[in-house]
Amino acid sequence: MKPAICLEGVSKKYDQIVALRDASFTVSKGEVFGIVGPSGAGKSTILRIVDLLEAPTEGKLLIDGQYVVANSVRAEAVRRKIGMVLQKPVVLNRSVANNLGYSLMIRGWNEDRIAEVVDAELRRLGLNGRRKTNARNLSGGEMQRLCFARAAIHDPSILLLDEFAANLDPTNVALLENQVQEFIRKDPNRTVVIVTHNMFQAKRMCTRIALIWDGEIVEIADRKKFFESPDDARTAAFVGGESIY
Amino acid sequence: MKGIWIAVAAIVVAAVVVGGAAGYVLMTEDDEVESLRLATTTSTYDSGLLDYILPVFENETNCKIDVIAVGSGQAIELGKNGDVDVLLVHSPAAEKDFVAAGYGESRTLVMYNNFVIVGPSADPLNTENAKNASEAFQKIYDNGTAGLAKFVSRADNSGTHSKELTVWSTLGYNKTLVAAFPSSWYIQSGQGMGAVLDMCEELDAYTLSDDATYYQRMDENIIPHLNMTYSGDSALFNQYSVIPVNSTIHAHVNHTLAAAFKNWLVSEAGQDLIASYEKYGHQLFFPNATPQTARVASLLIDESMDVGEGVTRGWNSFRVLRWTDSFPFHAVH
Amino acid sequence: MISTGSELLDVTLLSLYVSGMATILGSAIGIPLGALIGLKEFGGKGAVKTLTYTLYGFPPVLSGLVVYYVFSRAGPLGDLGILFTPTAMIIAETFLVIPLVTGITITSVVEVDRSIKDTVKALGASSSQSIVTVMREAWVGLVMACMIGFGRVIAEVGAAYLVGGNIDGETRVLTTAIMLETRMGHFEWAMSLGIVLLSVALMVFLFLRLLQEREML
Repeated sequence: MKPAICLEGVSKKYDQIVALRDASFTVSKGEVFGIVGPSGAGKSTILRIVDLLEAPTEGKLLIDGQYVVANSVRAEAVRRKIGMVLQKPVVLNRSVANNLGYSLMIRGWNEDRIAEVVDAELRRLGLNGRRKTNARNLSGGEMQRLCFARAAIHDPSILLLDEFAANLDPTNVALLENQVQEFIRKDPNRTVVIVTHNMFQAKRMCTRIALIWDGEIVEIADRKKFFESPDDARTAAFVGGESIY
Repeated sequence: MKGIWIAVAAIVVAAVVVGGAAGYVLMTEDDEVESLRLATTTSTYDSGLLDYILPVFENETNCKIDVIAVGSGQAIELGKNGDVDVLLVHSPAAEKDFVAAGYGESRTLVMYNNFVIVGPSADPLNTENAKNASEAFQKIYDNGTAGLAKFVSRADNSGTHSKELTVWSTLGYNKTLVAAFPSSWYIQSGQGMGAVLDMCEELDAYTLSDDATYYQRMDENIIPHLNMTYSGDSALFNQYSVIPVNSTIHAHVNHTLAAAFKNWLVSEAGQDLIASYEKYGHQLFFPNATPQTARVASLLIDESMDVGEGVTRGWNSFRVLRWTDSFPFHAVH
Repeated sequence: MISTGSELLDVTLLSLYVSGMATILGSAIGIPLGALIGLKEFGGKGAVKTLTYTLYGFPPVLSGLVVYYVFSRAGPLGDLGILFTPTAMIIAETFLVIPLVTGITITSVVEVDRSIKDTVKALGASSSQSIVTVMREAWVGLVMACMIGFGRVIAEVGAAYLVGGNIDGETRVLTTAIMLETRMGHFEWAMSLGIVLLSVALMVFLFLRLLQEREML
């Protein structure tokens, strides 16, 4: 299988605080890769580095087998193939339709094509009746689904999801997880990385899972091994502890 | 929707700017006629004199005069920098320096009006019966230091202020000493003439004012509790002169028109027009450019009053001056 | 003196023209400048911001004096002959608008939530695209900047008097007319002109509020 994302010895420091230490792993195309761990362990830092929002202090990042440096001209082109949903759902101060169309607009799509794609997406989301509503007036669940759709609407080859269904009711969680499954099923060359602290979600969705603890990757394993016979004691503890709820 | 809004915004912004520009163009469409920039003091403009006499000259010569009414000091500065073509000001010492330094072509006397002492209507200090301005000031000083009277000074280096300082100097108080008068009675306001009169009205204070501003304030009933308590000392003459800016220093000035304006001001027609300007039942400015009417007075004023000495007769006497061939001229009472 | 309705209209239109142009020019310079200072990281940024905020207090008369010295016949650009014209007034007032608009723009774009800036970037916007988007998110603040800029110059008298000269029919605007009437003791008339000025400002502000309050859809 072809590698989509590859980290080689990546570290990140903020001033003197080490957020990530010597992380190395590869995510292949077609995978739904999960990153789990307690709050503040460095999960989001990994995603931000992969999305080229931040440059690592040390180490290399390869996307589709190509070495990329954040803040370079090429980084902007590479980022256009990636869709990312940040931990906090943020909508722009404009209509639902224009929020969806934003990703396409900045990629230079022509207006007719944008209208067509946005229209289809609105119907799929069940938000067609509120297309002209300011996105800020949506409910939390609608907003999160909008943010997801906005990140995925331009057909990215890599989708990065940071706690994409946190604080939602079960119905909305199910709707969003379905959207992710649909996304990955549509094209075998696609890749999804999910950051979550919800063990059930990781178990439901991920093909492979990494546990990160205090800035360090403790274990990377297939779903079955990760949940049933982890190598590291901390993984077992984390899986066990989290399983309680 | 968005397009409509942008269009509306663009139309409104455009309307404001174009409307303003159109207004401006309409206002300046007579720009083909020659224009003359006149820097003058606020007294000639605010009294309405210029609005009264300038249209006559503008019609005769088919020109337009742009009046910039500012303080004497600022007017002279504008002349120095060549930003105006001609000055009509009342600050003799500064005017002479201006001409001597070559900025002004020549200084020609045009007219005068009077400074008067204004105070509470009851005139508690009885300045009315003072022999001259100096004695009136002495009374104000004595009562002021005794806590019985107040005086508001312009204290702004204006023509009026320098006239006030001239009177104080006859009592032996130079500029520094005057500036050190206690603020308990000597109020250094830094305000214009009208504002100073308004202050006197509130404070029951005395001041030195030009009579035009005083009459105008009286006429509009703004200062009902004040009165002109002393007038008539020729030391209180306020001489206005016209000075075309020197075109050898500032080549761009409209010298031809400036000279024409000067000649018109001192001509019989110009002088008569000035004399005929009355407001509030009083003649405000007294022409003194032509020998027939006021040559004597102008000479006396020019030579003596600037240094604040000599002439102490009542100004009424100058209205019946008799021209003689012998010097010194003398007034007939 | 303003004695006829058409004179009053001329003076009012000139006020609008001078203040409007100064606001447009000042915003055209101040908004990009503020965005640059607010969104870019560079050395001495704090000092630049402090300087901008300090210039809020730039005295109008001082701006007038500087413009006077530049455009006076004795000054470096005297040959242009624009002293005592509305153009000179616009230039002097533009300098008063720039620091206000720049400073408020800085505050507005800085206050756009960090998460919006991240989101925009994460959605794939290039740096110039994200600046445009952040500016649009800061819309309310930017319109506010223009309003405050306009408010400052329409009400300003010192610079207008100094470089305009308050010439009847040429450079007389509402504020200098008010000053003249006050000097002449015509307090009621001056007050009436003040009401005209406030009405004009009210109309402009109502329009800008409309622009500000609508949602950018």
